[in-house]
Amino acid sequence: MTERNTRKNLHPQEVSRLREEQVKVVTGCQDQIQHWKKVQSDYEALQQRLSTLPNKLSYDIMVPFGPLAFMPGKLVHTNEVTVLLGDNWFAKCSAKQASNLVEHRKKHVKNALDDLYKVVKNFEARVGFTEDLEKLSSEKGDFVDIIEEVENEEILTKGKQRTAHKPYSRPKNQDVFDTNFEGGEGDPKATSGILSEEELWARLDELEMQEELLDQKDRMAYSTDANGDDTTSSSSEEEKEHQSDNLPCLHGEEGWPSVTQEDSRLITCQVNGNGQHHSDDEDDEGSCVPTIYFTHTVEPKRVRINTGRNTTLKFSERKEEAKRKRKNSNGNGHSVPGLTKIKTPADLYRLFVDVVNGELVPRKSILKSRSREDSLCSDTSESSDDRRGFCRNLSHDESTHSDTSEGVLQEEENSPSKPLPLPGVFEAFSGTVVEKDPTLPSLIPHLTIVSPALPTIPERKAEEVVLQVQKEPCKRMSKFKAARMQQQI
Amino acid sequence: MADIIQKKLQTEVEKYQQIQKDLSKCMSARQKLEAQLTENNIVKEELDLLDSQNLVYKLIGPVLVKQDLEEAKGTVGKRLEYINGEIKRYETQMKEMEKRSERHREVLAGLQQEYQKSQGKVPVKV
Repeated sequence: MTERNTRKNLHPQEVSRLREEQVKVVTGCQDQIQHWKKVQSDYEALQQRLSTLPNKLSYDIMVPFGPLAFMPGKLVHTNEVTVLLGDNWFAKCSAKQASNLVEHRKKHVKNALDDLYKVVKNFEARVGFTEDLEKLSSEKGDFVDIIEEVENEEILTKGKQRTAHKPYSRPKNQDVFDTNFEGGEGDPKATSGILSEEELWARLDELEMQEELLDQKDRMAYSTDANGDDTTSSSSEEEKEHQSDNLPCLHGEEGWPSVTQEDSRLITCQVNGNGQHHSDDEDDEGSCVPTIYFTHTVEPKRVRINTGRNTTLKFSERKEEAKRKRKNSNGNGHSVPGLTKIKTPADLYRLFVDVVNGELVPRKSILKSRSREDSLCSDTSESSDDRRGFCRNLSHDESTHSDTSEGVLQEEENSPSKPLPLPGVFEAFSGTVVEKDPTLPSLIPHLTIVSPALPTIPERKAEEVVLQVQKEPCKRMSKFKAARMQQQI
Repeated sequence: MADIIQKKLQTEVEKYQQIQKDLSKCMSARQKLEAQLTENNIVKEELDLLDSQNLVYKLIGPVLVKQDLEEAKGTVGKRLEYINGEIKRYETQMKEMEKRSERHREVLAGLQQEYQKSQGKVPVKV
């Protein structure tokens, strides 16, 4: 800080010195301009004289005789003029020719004058700039130095998040694996399958716990953020990467915990920054320039996704959280509201729709859309959208528009036997029914509970969480089978 | 030790100053030449404006000596070339001098550092 002060203190002297030099140049140029202007006027007078001189054959004049005396005399040969060409060269020529010569010289003078004018203009501009600089470095002035102190280099670098991605590639493989697994329906408990599944379950448990913690933190962070939200600069891209990090399944270990911690830290930094700003303003006497310290905060971002045909999806995390909280306050009593009740791939298409002219239009692939508002969105393929929808507590789906889906979701939430497997939510598929018949409440949920979406999560949770009605002890069933059973029922 | 360095420093500084003076002399000579160059250019152009009927004189001392127009033109042309050559010569000379001064500057800087070191050491020792 002292260094900065000393640095600032140096500036005024240097700047004033610079200004002096520039002013000197300007005055020098001005003198030269004066000189050349005089020359120009002389030449014009001369031309005048030359034009009138040959009018008479001879003139009566008083001839200077030394420095102190004059003599009367005659001026003859009025047309003969001896011109000094320069460098000790003379030429005798007529008045007219002399006039031409003078004209030619005037051109040179004019060029010199123009150059000088240009120089003066440039330097005057420079002087103005240095004056501004002087003002800037001095205490008064309207200039404010805006400084962002990056204290934490770990925050939200792309690279970090990319590295965090690597362990997340597994869930996808698991999905694939599961589907293959469910191909052998009758025997879901293949021995080799069990081992890997248990591993997965254990992992999922950990992650779920973490998700819970993080969720709480996130909520806190959100509340604080709502308070101190004045000067946030939304790092939407970073936010997005957060979300893309929050992939469904085996997430959250590095990405989210660190992120939300960063969030809270950032927000506190921001608050500090505001405070700093104030103190800086007050401390104006000490420092030369009022400074504003600001920090980036992670603001729940709003993402607009252009899905072509003039439909845009606005994904706002805030809205989602608000909705979620609303639903919480509605007395669901579920810690994890807004799970996407998706059992089948077809449900996806039902949920991710656009509302166009009041109708539901299935969402076009963003890869196909012509333009996208954000390049951010380019990363979010539909799959990541889905993932986001799945993994986050925020009902991604809720925010995106389809009323029907909302309605369905609400129905789902209101259904009593909603399992709420994970507060943490890595559920791509929760155990609850998505649509059709809300009239078949109790049975279906059980079945769905039993059937693993990501096969592991609901089942495990079924074991741990007290389900209201538990028919069978965690019988694993493939989701497809469950869906079929639902439909049968 | 410090004294020796100091003496060396002084000699170097003197040499450097000498070189700087030479450099400035070259500069001023070159500027003069440039002025003459522009002047002779004007003369040439004005001679072109004249015709053979005009009488051209050259001032040699207090005497105006009559010259032929063509001859005058030739003379002026030659003078121009001469001036250009001179300018180039001075250019190269100046470059050379700059290099030398640069070298001296480096030497000076090194000596200064040594001097400061020795200065730094001496109070510590004492």
